[in-house]
Amino acid sequence: MSTDLHVRRRPSPQKALTGTLKWVLLGVGIVVALVPFVWMVTGSFRTEADLFGAPASLLPEQWSLHGYRGIWEELPFMRLVMNSFIFAGVTTALCLVFDSMFAYALARIKFRGSTLCFWLVIATLMVPFQVTLIPVFVELFHLGWLDTYHGLIIPRATSAFGIFMLRQFFISIPRELDEAARIDGAGHLRIYWQIILPLAKPALATLAVLHFMNLWNDLLWPLIVTSSTEMRTLPAALTLFGGQHVNDHAVLLAGATLSLLPLALAFFLAQRYFVAGVATTGLK
Amino acid sequence: MTATSTRSARAARPVPSTGRAGRSGHRPRRWRFQPAWLFAAPSLVILLGFIVYPIVQSFRYSLYNWRIGAETQEWVGLANYAELLGDERFWNALYVTVIFSVVSVVAQLILGFAAASALQRDTWLNRIVRSVFFFPTIVALAIIGIVWRFMLDPSIGLIGGVTELVGAEPIPWLQDTSLALPAVIAVSVWKNVGFTMIILLAGLKGVPEHLYEAARLDGARGWQLIRHVTLPSIRPTLLFATMIMTINSLQVFDLVYVMTNGGPLFATDTLVTMMFREGFENFNLGYASTIAWVLFAIIMALSAFQLRIFRYQDVD
Amino acid sequence: MRTIRRHLTIATVAALAVAGCSSAGSTDNDGDPGMETDADAGPVELTLWTGFTGGDRGAYEALVETFNDTHDDIQVEMEVQPWDTIAQKLPSAWATGQGPDVATPNFDPNIVGQYLETDSLLALDAVGEGEGQINVGQLAPAAVEAFTVDGTLYAVPANMATLQLYYNKTLFEQAGIDGPPADVDEFREVARDLTGDGVYGLSLAERETIQMWPILQWLDGGDIVDEQYCAALDTPENVESLTTWSQLVVDEVAPVGLTGAESDALFSAGQAAMQLNGPWAAPGYRDAGIELGIAPVPTGVDGDVTLASTAPLAISANTEHPAEAQEFLAWWTGQEAQKQFALESGFPPVRTDMGDDPELAANEDVSAFAAALPGARLYLPGVPSATEVDSEGYIPLIGEITRGEDVEQAIQAATERINSTTGCQG
Repeated sequence: MSTDLHVRRRPSPQKALTGTLKWVLLGVGIVVALVPFVWMVTGSFRTEADLFGAPASLLPEQWSLHGYRGIWEELPFMRLVMNSFIFAGVTTALCLVFDSMFAYALARIKFRGSTLCFWLVIATLMVPFQVTLIPVFVELFHLGWLDTYHGLIIPRATSAFGIFMLRQFFISIPRELDEAARIDGAGHLRIYWQIILPLAKPALATLAVLHFMNLWNDLLWPLIVTSSTEMRTLPAALTLFGGQHVNDHAVLLAGATLSLLPLALAFFLAQRYFVAGVATTGLK
Repeated sequence: MTATSTRSARAARPVPSTGRAGRSGHRPRRWRFQPAWLFAAPSLVILLGFIVYPIVQSFRYSLYNWRIGAETQEWVGLANYAELLGDERFWNALYVTVIFSVVSVVAQLILGFAAASALQRDTWLNRIVRSVFFFPTIVALAIIGIVWRFMLDPSIGLIGGVTELVGAEPIPWLQDTSLALPAVIAVSVWKNVGFTMIILLAGLKGVPEHLYEAARLDGARGWQLIRHVTLPSIRPTLLFATMIMTINSLQVFDLVYVMTNGGPLFATDTLVTMMFREGFENFNLGYASTIAWVLFAIIMALSAFQLRIFRYQDVD
Repeated sequence: MRTIRRHLTIATVAALAVAGCSSAGSTDNDGDPGMETDADAGPVELTLWTGFTGGDRGAYEALVETFNDTHDDIQVEMEVQPWDTIAQKLPSAWATGQGPDVATPNFDPNIVGQYLETDSLLALDAVGEGEGQINVGQLAPAAVEAFTVDGTLYAVPANMATLQLYYNKTLFEQAGIDGPPADVDEFREVARDLTGDGVYGLSLAERETIQMWPILQWLDGGDIVDEQYCAALDTPENVESLTTWSQLVVDEVAPVGLTGAESDALFSAGQAAMQLNGPWAAPGYRDAGIELGIAPVPTGVDGDVTLASTAPLAISANTEHPAEAQEFLAWWTGQEAQKQFALESGFPPVRTDMGDDPELAANEDVSAFAAALPGARLYLPGVPSATEVDSEGYIPLIGEITRGEDVEQAIQAATERINSTTGCQG
């Protein structure tokens, strides 16, 4: 498959055939990738009777807004959206700063314990989040951080993955650049801030996108830390809400659609960063 | 940016790495402030406080018959670990986790590689198709679980409906003990294949064209080119992708939790869902921590093994 | 009411963890609101936390409103929050002397014992026959039993639901069956007759559900555990019962391996003729266009029996207004309030002495579910580690036998698991 992309000679009939086959397969892939979302969105507008009556249909017989009405009436929607942005936004910002600082130390400064630090990062990368759930909860309780923004944000304000990824990226930046700066008398802070960070913009953008996405989608963490509806994030609130109306699928699907919407919008506006972003991680 | 270039860059660098006082700064009386710690401090504090300390804590739980809320805890030593080894549910969960990981990682690599090769050129059409394939990756597993669960439902789901249209009986995907795991794996692959595709795509773009030309002159065609040029060239990328995917799939939780919660009859019960049930539904926190630690050990061992296999050079 | 359960459990454990810590000496006082400390000036204010966020929420709110309108000296403020929120906060709040005066700690009646471990519940002493007292003799016995520990009552039922037989009238007509089955033999027979053409006779759920299988066993005179909390599954009645019912599943009269939500969906889609379910399901089925009938669960060999579920309504041991809080509980479970609540929600009253109320009798849903109260039983009441008995013992048992595995062997395995979980010495 990949060869015909590089060689551009006369298309032979065999090539034309593989070309067609390729696009047939890709077409199937596109349908499989998209249909669940189409079904989710249209399903959120369908009545129960409609859904049960014609399960094979993708379109509602009659558009109904009752799923959305149910959610709008019972949830402080704007507040939840705001919480989600605060949680995902602030945490992402802190993560970028803290991760890049640690990564800078690991990649650019030789110090006793750096290997140990690096292995610590690698090891924490492999800790299943659920393992630490209860001890962390108890810890937050003793700190008095439950149901607060800082309780939600600070424990997540760094990520082993981010440190690891940025370290790899920083190492690949030629050392000559900071040597030159050092001769001019620059300290670590200036090198970090004025040389390394600007060069690492693509990696930082990637990381920002990945973090924001994961934090926005995170369910268990906000469920554990927050307890009042005023502090919940959108996905967490919608999930609980959905569970209580299990008989009405439209409400659940409306909830799913609503919590996906901001992310989908962001994706279409900034997909370059999403896609290019993930790609840069792969180079390491 | 590959491992090789990293190494050469390092080899080329001048010896003293800090401007003010390198390794040779001989001022033994004065404590020398190390700026690295300042840079490391915020992350280090968070990692130590919210990951390392809790996991040590959970190891402590695993040595007790830890009951939540109890005034005193009963010390049992390694009894939890011994019990685990004799627990058929544990072996079942381990089996399910391994099957899930192996099948989904391999399927993702194959499909992701196929898609990446097919969409390698930067035409506008290819870009759109790539975005479409990538889209499921950004969606929360909780949402994906809900949507697929409904879609697969034999009585209301689209898939059941379509099956009926073609005249067949709807298939109880998530209710049948032998179909549930394949169904969950398929959904997981569906979600993640875009991620793998993008990563591999970046790797493919980094393969110098002259390598292909040279191989072609030697008479290599089709599969041979892939086997002898493409795959070796993207090895670091493959390692990264495989490692991340393996670690993630060994920890699979959200998707299973929302789609089947380990059922039916433990057919999709992974190590983390089992741990979750023991800890959070059955209140056996000590036992749950034991499972967690065994999983942790497995992941560590496997990662070390993978690093070795791929001879991943970056730690010194 | 059922899928949320999974979220909650995390929270419960977490909260209990905290309760454990704090009772062990910590004195964190991060100022939880809710504790009213005002003196005699003005009416006494009580805070109430409940988890009724579902479709029945309005009925509870109306009830509190009526109470406030009729009581000048006591004003209750109800804060509705998801069950898991309560489960997270309440144990630590109550164990450290904060939190609301009154709350529904959980929808699981077994929770009472856990709160007693931290001495968080007020012993209810305003008990008796009079007005303003908690008429314990008239409350649903199953609930009273679950909330009484060592002879002391610690909670009243905030609500009481029973399971009844839902049936699809259209499907009954098509199969030429006049009405719902009257006894357990007829139940099985009719289920077989109704099966065919893509329709199941009975929609059964095995997991993540309000329990349906225990009712089937009870109908045949069986049970899950005995009074010493030992598994009772290997008695001849139980083996016989589990064998016949699982045979129905194997013969595709009932579906295999459904969750509660899937079982509901099957019935909603008109693909199952009968189902055992509670009052909360009725509105959804009518919305889905089902020609719905609600009938008593067919009579079992030992008479009428069905499953009950109830949420406890309890008072903090540290409330400053124990008398007023008990007055509120007494009013909540009184005839007037229960009538209002039943008519609005479709739930049966928590009292057993309201059967002849003409208005209630005229309401089809209420009377159907109320009729089942006298014979209603709770699932695994008072059994130690009941959730574990359920998830590791009973659910796997049902899963195995409905997939055609040998019943006696499966019972053997389940018996061992259950006995080791409950600590039965038998």
